[in-house]
Amino acid sequence: MRRKNVWLDTAVTALLAVAACVMLVPYLWMVLSSFKSNMDIISGSGGFWPKHPSLDGYRTVFADAPFGLWLLNSAVTSVIITAATLFTSALAGYVFAKHQFRGKRIWFLLILATMMIPFQVIMIPTYLITAKLGLVNNLAAIVLPNLVSSYGVFLAKQFIEEIPNDLLEAARIDGAGELKLMVRIIAPLIFPMLSALGIFTFMNAWNNYLWPLIVLNDTEKMTVPLALVYFNGTHVVNYNVVMSAAVLITIPVIVVFLIFQKQFVKGLTMTGMK
Amino acid sequence: MNEATVISDNKRAGMRKKPGRYRNERRFVFAFLTPVLLLFGLFAFLPIAWSLILSLFQYNPMSDHARYVGAANYLRMFTDGVVLKSLWVTFKFVFFTVISNLVITLAIATAIQRVRVRWLKDLFRTVFFLPTIAPLAGTAIVWSTMFNYQNGLFNMILGELHIAPVQWLSDPHYALLSVIMMTLWADIGYNIVLFMAGLDSIPEMYYEAAILDGANRWHLFRHVTLPLLSRSTLFVTITTVISYFQAFPQFQIMTKGEPFNETRVLALQIYDQAFSNSNMGYASALATLFLVIILIVTVLQLRLGRTQWEY
Repeated sequence: MRRKNVWLDTAVTALLAVAACVMLVPYLWMVLSSFKSNMDIISGSGGFWPKHPSLDGYRTVFADAPFGLWLLNSAVTSVIITAATLFTSALAGYVFAKHQFRGKRIWFLLILATMMIPFQVIMIPTYLITAKLGLVNNLAAIVLPNLVSSYGVFLAKQFIEEIPNDLLEAARIDGAGELKLMVRIIAPLIFPMLSALGIFTFMNAWNNYLWPLIVLNDTEKMTVPLALVYFNGTHVVNYNVVMSAAVLITIPVIVVFLIFQKQFVKGLTMTGMK
Repeated sequence: MNEATVISDNKRAGMRKKPGRYRNERRFVFAFLTPVLLLFGLFAFLPIAWSLILSLFQYNPMSDHARYVGAANYLRMFTDGVVLKSLWVTFKFVFFTVISNLVITLAIATAIQRVRVRWLKDLFRTVFFLPTIAPLAGTAIVWSTMFNYQNGLFNMILGELHIAPVQWLSDPHYALLSVIMMTLWADIGYNIVLFMAGLDSIPEMYYEAAILDGANRWHLFRHVTLPLLSRSTLFVTITTVISYFQAFPQFQIMTKGEPFNETRVLALQIYDQAFSNSNMGYASALATLFLVIILIVTVLQLRLGRTQWEY
């Protein structure tokens, strides 16, 4: 082993521990603030620790906010988006990787080119198209533009190209149709890539703020991040309420992350996706 | 060669067995690709073209009447003080945030790589990565309360140190800095993980060879780690720059571009022009400018990165 230096290693670990604690402070702040009582806040003497710990904040959240509905809106749209993106990306990737047709290169290049386009550039026409389709303030508007992903198609094509043609040929001779081939042979082979794509698609859909902000108006239609901001606007003074909502939203995210952590990290380094 | 002929024979045999297969394949390609391309067309190709066209019009969605104004929108933005300021703010934000992000993440990644205890290493990575999975909108709200003048965390700390409190989000000197701090907290996890993977892929033998040549710790980092990490660095830099150009929720939620437009980045300005002021034509022209800037910056980085690789 190279560079054995116990002192330096200890110092580095200690520094990292301090930095890690600093990283955790906002979480601690969020949780502690959520337990502050309305009294603590109105008296303006609220310190770091709640003086009169209470569940005021949580009670108000459940009384004032259609909290379950927001979670449901986010869950339904994110699940549909993820499932559809996996399906369309894998199949389009397969078509581009293993089939010949006229205009293949052009179409693929066009799809690749859209990867470079920031959402801010297309958000205005996308909104106008959504309005023309009569979907403003409708959860379908969240789903529809996100059923396909150029990055997903690109990734799927890269990974499917690695699969030997002989394997597909053999399956075809055995009488497998294209769709069956896709489900039975290709999907299992590119499973790691699909799970990475799935995780990040779901996360982006769940966390998306800008697009819901543009197309959703009603509180009952809102997805979680948008609802949280809206809720923040109506409870500016009583920040214990908003912090309670933030805690309730963050906990499931952290639990899910801790369960799938390995896949997260592997997926990130495999796809470079954010 | 023999093998190849056998395979092609098999292929031909398969073809003879199922003469309709190629038609089936074609039908599959057509039946499946059409809806996908339609979706791309409707929500990617069409909006890009529409955005370019719209930038030549004066268009308010309320009045539903578009007036052709030629290049007027483009000319207007170069005399629009707010836009010029927002360009300056955007560059300032991207530059400082990217530089600090790279320095911090590279330092932390190298430090974590030094930790030998497996569980401690995983714990550190988890802690630093955790903020990246939370919705940025939620993070922005939590940080807004931390920046609160009356009872926020930062002024509490300053109070403990007997320093006068600061208007973190409404003092023009501090507003951008506050957003930068929050952005870094929320975002460094990605690059730490990417740098750690990059460091993992550097073969140990390079270090051993350098140590035999008498290299010290700094030499190792400067002449072994950095050059061999340059691929990761280029990738990380490009994706970080692009994502910071598009940073939006933290500005829209924490500062709304205030005070005195000190935090009005271009992404926020486009949104406000389009959806608060209903100036969709002008906003589209700004969006075009935005796209051109991002493309130029990305190409420049690729150029610079490539020349470095060759050494």
